[in-house]
Amino acid sequence: MAEPEFAIKVTGLTKTFGDFTAVDGIDIAVPRGQIFGFLGPNGSGKTTTIRMLTGTLRPQGGQAEVLGTDVVHHADQVQQRIGYMSQKFALFEDMTVDENLRFYAGIYQVPAEEFAQRREYVLRMADLVGREDELTRNLSVGWRQRLALGAATIHEPELLFLDEPTSGVDPVARRQFWDLLYELAGRGVTLFVTTHYMDEAAHCNQLAFIYRGRIIAEGSPSQLRHSQLDQRIFDIAVTDADAALDQLSGTSGIDDAYLSGASLHVVTPREESLTADDLRRRLIAAGFAAPTVREVDPTIEDVFVNLVTRHR
Amino acid sequence: MNGSLTRIGAVVVKEFKHLRRDPRTLAAVVLLPVIQLLLFAWAISFDVDQVPTVVVDFDHTQTSADYVRAYDASTFFSVVQHADSLAAVDGAFDANSARVAVIIPAGFERTITGGGRAQVAVLIDGSETNAAKVSQAYSVALNQLYDQNLTRAWADQQGLDLSGLGALQPQIRTWYNPDRNSTIFLVPGLMAVIIAIVTVQQTAVTLVRERALGTEEQLEVSPIRKGELMVGKLLPWTLIAFADVVMVILLGMTVFGVPMRGTPWVLALGSVLFVFASLGMGLVISALAPSAETANIIALLVAFLPSFLLSGLAFPLDQIPAILQGVSMAFPARYMVTVARGVFLKGTGFMELWPQLAALAGYAALMVIIAARLYGRRGRR
Repeated sequence: MAEPEFAIKVTGLTKTFGDFTAVDGIDIAVPRGQIFGFLGPNGSGKTTTIRMLTGTLRPQGGQAEVLGTDVVHHADQVQQRIGYMSQKFALFEDMTVDENLRFYAGIYQVPAEEFAQRREYVLRMADLVGREDELTRNLSVGWRQRLALGAATIHEPELLFLDEPTSGVDPVARRQFWDLLYELAGRGVTLFVTTHYMDEAAHCNQLAFIYRGRIIAEGSPSQLRHSQLDQRIFDIAVTDADAALDQLSGTSGIDDAYLSGASLHVVTPREESLTADDLRRRLIAAGFAAPTVREVDPTIEDVFVNLVTRHR
Repeated sequence: MNGSLTRIGAVVVKEFKHLRRDPRTLAAVVLLPVIQLLLFAWAISFDVDQVPTVVVDFDHTQTSADYVRAYDASTFFSVVQHADSLAAVDGAFDANSARVAVIIPAGFERTITGGGRAQVAVLIDGSETNAAKVSQAYSVALNQLYDQNLTRAWADQQGLDLSGLGALQPQIRTWYNPDRNSTIFLVPGLMAVIIAIVTVQQTAVTLVRERALGTEEQLEVSPIRKGELMVGKLLPWTLIAFADVVMVILLGMTVFGVPMRGTPWVLALGSVLFVFASLGMGLVISALAPSAETANIIALLVAFLPSFLLSGLAFPLDQIPAILQGVSMAFPARYMVTVARGVFLKGTGFMELWPQLAALAGYAALMVIIAARLYGRRGRR
């Protein structure tokens, strides 16, 4: 059988719960070896989509091919070849590092000699060499997360689904975790990642935004940053960003304003003649001391906020 | 098939690891049966023996003293106090220092020597029903016996030969358990309680816990099938339940001298059916309970309490209210207790016990079907 070009190919996938349409006829194509970012606010259909793609939820309509196999009708043929990791980490806390790995190896029927190699690799990867016999509950969150990744990949899946894998993990551990994901991708594993950290979205090769069950935008991070937005973004650094937000929201020439990190982002229509100087003058007139205003390239977060506002 | 066994094996190993790291559960499934057995055997005795008795003798004669000695002489009563007023009886009952009061009215000797029937009041503290019932029966028997002895003594004095009259001696015999030893009555019944605790409760809790951990979600995505996970999780508890049953039987037979009068395979069949019924019950609970705590409480309500209170273990089934007798039919424990007692104590065989075995089989089938339906609906929505 020829290796299919796409790890995931979905057309018209639909799932309803009663009157509620959780996923509304989406199309997704993920080429092999890519890191695919699936973004959207809570309740937009991300997890429902993953559950259909992993064969645990039956869609009402549409086709879903995973690794070249129809996952709707042949989930058991697909499940041996994919991995899954959620923010819950799915580790048994009253078992040791080694026992957890051994359990998942048994579930995926990893042969003994192969397991010995895989175990070595995972322990090194997760920085857990020498802590094999430690109970999982005694590990810090970052370690548990890396162990969960190791357990989810103990059978060397060709495709790995990660459902908000970095929730509740500190920034340093998140950075280390993404390094591991890059390493996996480098070995040819396709990654399907959902996240609500916009800085993480920038790490992906390809992104799709899902909102209210529909895909509202897709493309590479740079494509999305430049093509999706027909507006200009100003970054305002000011001592009291909250008050400045109240001051500028809804005033003439401004489409939208929101906090972004420590600063304030203001969105104006592209044809609007408002300049950075105009905004600075407005703030000074309102009594704000020494604001810095500059026009910036939109970030993924700007695109995301903008898309959601437009579709609301 | 081979893969299936590997996966089930991984789950079984995991379950035993959980058990090893959870001393409380381990104690519950290994020590509890032994503790229960010892408690039943020694502490909570349903035997009636040496009932503390208070005597109020208003007659103060040789005859009344003889009558009181008849009580003291029987091992059944033990005269602990001689009082001189009825108020003292109340006091003794309230203080729990006596359970039976014998009141001999003034003129007792005069009535008897006059050839009449003397009246004696026997008061029984009814707050402990079991002892009260038995005490009543014994004192009636004792009075009859004493009455005849008196009659005979009187006849001897008159030079009459009563042997031709065939004066009756009441003889009370308890069938199947002549020593009225409640331990050997309880051990067979305990099997039901122990199976119920280990299988129903642990099954219910272990499956709900997996769901709460998020590991169930992880396993749904893996190649393990729902049935394999179920078998893997239930197998350890089934094994432990049987190990407990064997342990209780051996302890019962060696330490407490419980006889095995019937055929063991009928008991084994009953146990297997009861274990399946209990597993099914545990599965149904785990499918419906939102949390491990709830599962625990429901298991206590539908498994432990009925198997203890409504099975004939603690109270004879014909002595509980009719409505509760009806309720007891809805739980499998009573059938298990009947089978166990029948095989151990009466030597009853399959021919007599098949209705109970059929009830257990029906119950097991029903529970497994309901559980399969409930779990089928949960998966693949």
